[in-house]
Amino acid sequence: MKDKKLLFVTQFEGLWFDALQSLMDLRKAGFNHTVFLHVIERDKVAMHRGKGYLKDEEVKLREMANVRFIDWAESLFEQGMEVGAYIVVGNPLPKIISTAAEEDVDLIVTGRHKKGKFEELYGGSETLEILERTSTPVLVYKYMLPSGKVNERPFEVPLLTMDWSPASEKAVEYLLSFKDVLKKVVAVHVINEKEFKSTSAMEIQSLRKENKQKLDEVCSRFEKEGIEAESHLYVGSTFEQIEKAANEREASMIVAGTTGKSPLKEMFLGSVATKLTKHSMLPSLLVPASVKL
Amino acid sequence: MSKRVLTVDDDSDISIFVKTVLEENGYTPLVARNGETGLAIARDEGPDLIILDVLMPKQSGIRMYRELKTDESLKNIPVIILSGIAKRTFLRSQEALTEFGDQSIPEPDVYIEKPVEPLELAETVKGLIG
Repeated sequence: MKDKKLLFVTQFEGLWFDALQSLMDLRKAGFNHTVFLHVIERDKVAMHRGKGYLKDEEVKLREMANVRFIDWAESLFEQGMEVGAYIVVGNPLPKIISTAAEEDVDLIVTGRHKKGKFEELYGGSETLEILERTSTPVLVYKYMLPSGKVNERPFEVPLLTMDWSPASEKAVEYLLSFKDVLKKVVAVHVINEKEFKSTSAMEIQSLRKENKQKLDEVCSRFEKEGIEAESHLYVGSTFEQIEKAANEREASMIVAGTTGKSPLKEMFLGSVATKLTKHSMLPSLLVPASVKL
Repeated sequence: MSKRVLTVDDDSDISIFVKTVLEENGYTPLVARNGETGLAIARDEGPDLIILDVLMPKQSGIRMYRELKTDESLKNIPVIILSGIAKRTFLRSQEALTEFGDQSIPEPDVYIEKPVEPLELAETVKGLIG
């Protein structure tokens, strides 16, 4: 079987070795090849008035990244893993997309980068742009514990958000490919208050029953693979209820399908994907509808 | 005809350095940027010696070395590993791959941890292929 590849994008501010180590469980799902990517942002070395291109600064930043990558690579090589590394100068987004394409990766892992005021306004759009321009799922990693430590097994209890779109169906299929890593799947559907068009108790109960049945069908697919699964319906604002469910069910990660709309559209529509990348305390695995399985 | 040495390294500075040392000592350098193209060149050109980095895109030197040593037509080409990765790590990773079911392979002829001096590199190459 061909090794699956994971692209680990780090600016050494949001993602460290402990986050990488927590993903080693994914070897059970065939992820035996890790590719590191560090992008030296162009404005750190680009032409400065009176100084020109800061070649010495570029060499220093490259070597700093290289020292870290060699140390990380040694740990992974000794576990029998395959490792590659890219240290490049440029704008992060196009470099992430081109490296993902060049290496033909199966999963991109990014942190939530520190942003300026303007970027913060469009927070999460970098991840959405990756999802729009590639068909590769993205795991947005978070340091979720107050201690700053990572969850050691983020894939153990994923909360799978279902909105019955083709993208969420793809998220189910993609998550099933991690069957050897999953311990329990929590399938959740949030009924938005707007869906209660009728005040008829009968119709509302029908809506509940229909969604619950669909969730149970999703659970059956995981149970057939020997994975424990449970289904829950929540009512209210989608993002808030997903966060609430993740907290109540002690989920280790949130999984959602994404439509692949442009980041701007997503932002104005207030999409769940945008809110997950920007606000969620948990790692978020975002699966584009165009993912190749 | 001068002997041909394939150097496989993604770092362009190192690659230029090795190429220059080889040319100054009468060898013909062949250059590859990762293990995948390195292996293809090795199969096409059959070099007399391979100088191989470890941490590279596409395919690492660890996997490329394993492919070289398990290929009947390539396994007798001497290999110098020239890398920032420690020799101990290289050997342990090969042991780990052997434990996962791959066949056991011999150690590289020479292992040099970066950086290397031009004279040391030239003498090592000469010691292996004359």
